[in-house]
Amino acid sequence: MFAVFKKELKSYFLSPIGYIAIGLFLLVFSVFFYITTIEVFALDLGSLYYATAMYGLLFVVPLITMRMFAEERKNGTEQLLLTSPRSITGIVLGKFLAAVALIAITLVISLIYFVILTFFGDPNIVTTLVAMVGFLLVAMAAISFGMFTSSLTENQIVSAIITVVFLILPWFLPNISTIFSEISLIDKFAKMSSGLISITEIVGLLSFTVMFILFTIIVMQRRKALK
Amino acid sequence: MIEVKDLTKKYGDFVAVQDLNFKIEDGEIVGFLGPNGAGKSTTMNMITGYIESTKGDIIVNGYDISKKPKKVKRQIGYMPESTPLYSDLTVKEFIRYMAELKFVKRKDRKQEIERILEQTGLVDVQNKLIKNLSRGYKQRVSLAGALIGNPEVIILDEPTVGLDPKQITEIRSLIKNLGKNHTVILSSHILSEVSQICEKVIIINKGKIIAIDTPENLENKTKGKNTIILTVEDNNNNMKNINEKIEGIQEITLEKDNEDGTKQYKVISDKDIDLRKKLFEVLPKEEITIFELKQGEATLEDAFIKLIEDDKSQQEDENKKKSKEKDEKKNKVKKDKQEGGKK
Repeated sequence: MFAVFKKELKSYFLSPIGYIAIGLFLLVFSVFFYITTIEVFALDLGSLYYATAMYGLLFVVPLITMRMFAEERKNGTEQLLLTSPRSITGIVLGKFLAAVALIAITLVISLIYFVILTFFGDPNIVTTLVAMVGFLLVAMAAISFGMFTSSLTENQIVSAIITVVFLILPWFLPNISTIFSEISLIDKFAKMSSGLISITEIVGLLSFTVMFILFTIIVMQRRKALK
Repeated sequence: MIEVKDLTKKYGDFVAVQDLNFKIEDGEIVGFLGPNGAGKSTTMNMITGYIESTKGDIIVNGYDISKKPKKVKRQIGYMPESTPLYSDLTVKEFIRYMAELKFVKRKDRKQEIERILEQTGLVDVQNKLIKNLSRGYKQRVSLAGALIGNPEVIILDEPTVGLDPKQITEIRSLIKNLGKNHTVILSSHILSEVSQICEKVIIINKGKIIAIDTPENLENKTKGKNTIILTVEDNNNNMKNINEKIEGIQEITLEKDNEDGTKQYKVISDKDIDLRKKLFEVLPKEEITIFELKQGEATLEDAFIKLIEDDKSQQEDENKKKSKEKDEKKNKVKKDKQEGGKK
């Protein structure tokens, strides 16, 4: 697992994708930092993380997940991985954690906004950290879904589009029926972004993540028989 | 030791590989030979655990691949046909990654990577990005990936495709060296390559094994006639009547009329008759000067083509039989119906 994790994280920065992902994230962060805090004289970073999760993840997650398995399949390097004495579970987890680590790096950088706020007042570090953890949980759920779509196809664009659609649908669907808000990842982040630790929502996000990691493992294992 | 029993792979109705049975002993170099689409790569992919078989067992050094895949994969180094590589990595980074994937211990890793770089002749390009390498070097990087960690079994799918002649000889001698303390399986459709490197040849056609033997035996088995290539200077054109003077000649054909006035003939006789001695005795008497005389050898090429054609004609016969039986049955049914109608 660790070998795959290390290599995956490294290859984000060997191609422009890692830099673009972090850059894009910070751009969205900065824009919302102005809109949600500076402009309204707020000292709370919750809505910054909420807005970034809503608009930032939409672009960044498909960008980093689309290549995970699709690229390996297209280039045939999948053959190297699957004939190595590593378990499929280890490979999937290694790739998943590398993508999570990329988001975590951005989150660490985003502490800059907290530091900036300390010049103007006394923002609460605990609520900020809770919002960051919540943000990471939403990102993990979105990554697990993106990874799953990447394992289904050898076309990265297809994977990216499915992921974007999945992340964008909850914006509109609740207008049709409130049932759909249940599948919305971002809705599960609402409480945590304001600093509340909500067990139901943490469990909800984590189980969503675990489910799609398992789906990915199953797809990879079944493909062996179908190939 | 690798044991393959009743190995079958089906894609829907299409049978890619059917009931393969063979054994490969430790330290053997075995060649898989067959035309394109014969099932060579499919078989190799199953042995390496990349794809699952529909039926049958693969046992590598006592471990069944379907039950202990990790144990089996640890003992195998595989170079796939398309030589897939991570083009963003440098040669050294790629080999290090493969070493990590294959559980090469941290303290041995550096030494092992250096050994492989040297063995495959990659020392000079070790810090280059793989995407900037030429095809021949990429092939070597892929081979290095298979060799790292010193696995007992090395499986190479068409290792010399796309290389220039010098590289081919290099890779071949490398494989021969590997055979001293590894079991090597390689696939190829270049027959001369297989006869040069391998101790055993498995010929596959349309997913079935049609022969397992040493290259020499295969050549002998399929040799039908004795051929002699003869170059002579023959100003009076006495060669015309030579088959009257020497017994046992089945056929003489003029192959080439050389510019220097010599002519090359092909003399064919029965399998067990060697005409060389007689030719040496008789031709000078007929005022024919021999410039060159050599035995034409049956090559593995001939063996291969013959075996595949035999297999084809056998299948055709079977198909004919089947269709004949079908026709007969149909006719019978028709007859019965007609008779029934009459009654």
